[in-house]
Amino acid sequence: MENIAPISWKKSSKPHLFCPGCGHGIVLKQLGYAFDEMKIARDVTFGIDIGCSLLAWNFFDADTIQTHHGRTTSVMVGYKMAKPERIALAYMGDGGGYAIGLQALLHAAYRNNPVTVILVNNENYAMTGGQSSPTTPVGMVTSTSPNGKRAEFGKGLHGPELISEIAAPNAYIARVSISNPIQLKITLKKAIENQVKNKVFSFVEVLSICPTNWKTNAKESFEILREAEKLYPIKEFTKEKEVEK
Amino acid sequence: MKTVKIILAGEGGQGIQTIAKVLSDAAFKAGFQVAYIPSFGVEQRGTPSLAYLTIGEEEIRYPRFDTADYVVVLQKRAIKVIGQFVDTNTTLIFDSSAVPQALLPKGAATLLGIPATAIANSDFIPKVFNIIVTGKLSQILKLPKELVFEAVGETLGKKFKDEKIKKANEAAFEFGCNFEAETDKFTKATFTPSEENITVKGHGKVAQIVPKRCKGCGICVEKCPVKALSFGETLGVFATPVPDIDLERCIACGNCYRFCPDAAIEVWKVS
Repeated sequence: MENIAPISWKKSSKPHLFCPGCGHGIVLKQLGYAFDEMKIARDVTFGIDIGCSLLAWNFFDADTIQTHHGRTTSVMVGYKMAKPERIALAYMGDGGGYAIGLQALLHAAYRNNPVTVILVNNENYAMTGGQSSPTTPVGMVTSTSPNGKRAEFGKGLHGPELISEIAAPNAYIARVSISNPIQLKITLKKAIENQVKNKVFSFVEVLSICPTNWKTNAKESFEILREAEKLYPIKEFTKEKEVEK
Repeated sequence: MKTVKIILAGEGGQGIQTIAKVLSDAAFKAGFQVAYIPSFGVEQRGTPSLAYLTIGEEEIRYPRFDTADYVVVLQKRAIKVIGQFVDTNTTLIFDSSAVPQALLPKGAATLLGIPATAIANSDFIPKVFNIIVTGKLSQILKLPKELVFEAVGETLGKKFKDEKIKKANEAAFEFGCNFEAETDKFTKATFTPSEENITVKGHGKVAQIVPKRCKGCGICVEKCPVKALSFGETLGVFATPVPDIDLERCIACGNCYRFCPDAAIEVWKVS
């Protein structure tokens, strides 16, 4: 019974507000275990965005800030400047991070601000009804691309690749998937540790599932996720840069 | 027809807005004045979903109202939002297989029970439950059956992926139209979420399942490498089935609890 839910979860807010089978639950569960193992739940300030990620507003027994769409990174950068002893986490979706909030994210990476950004990529704008987003792969049927997304509208934005181009060599940048929760937890821990120890930027993109808007059951959801993992490769981007150097 | 005010209450995901849309489309085609306002918070399962519907021959001046002629409640958790709409002239229609009659607000003129969830699960497919209610409501409101069924086709047409689903909807609608509502002896509300935790022991393992948190997504069933999990009889928080565990097959690998987004299942070994 000890392990059924992380200790840092706020028990009174469960069952949480996410849809049945939502990938956010899996990411936040592993983040909770990471908090427990590092014993940092009391030191974390959790910044959340507009979009499905805002439903995590009462998820943890931790300080939480909810801010304007796409500005979570900027707000957490400012917060960290005012309170350098706190651990600043920015939690957002692909709409908030790669569409409206891309400039905030890129500049935080460019300045190497000591915040950890966790971006959950479910390949659509889920809260508003599954419209196609910058990361929607070619051919995917969404409510704004009823015949499948056409290649001329972009083949899917590769966020970590883009950010690793401008980020400092000691920034930690990685992409993981919820299909491997253990790797997910290890990566999240590394990203938080990088902020605590080295005082630099870290960024984790988590490939996730959206059964409600993909209109899939559990099996089909993970099949689409497997396709997504082929398009968006799972890897760490930090070491490569160090080798180049 | 005198102007009637109807309020439909349930949970997001149940199909409350679909019922209201079908009825308002059909009533409009039949030549009535219609006003329909959906009212729900965040668009997701588990939050209250309300639909205000006004149908009548006279012009409708204002689409909201304080007391309703018909109150339709289809989920236990929605009972608390309908109390204010009930007065001594109200007909209270409820899903008797999911809403316990004892918890309903007192003072309504008539109670009508439709065990729609139970019928949909036993005779049709679970999803058609709102079509049964639509059928019954259209007969209570005396709307022409053909027009209502046409509206069902127009609203749900895209969702009829194969013939089986279409047939089930047709049959459910026909059944709803001819259904004689319960007036005094109500079906027992068995389709309510289970409150107690399930603990299974045996074969050197202990499994704990929390139906209060389980939303029935099926990820644990899908991720089990030895097929020890399958959907059972107990119902979770959204009245969806909770998995049953076969501890003889289980190898306590921990995949189910690692993947469960709602922290509703755990298995561990005991020595």
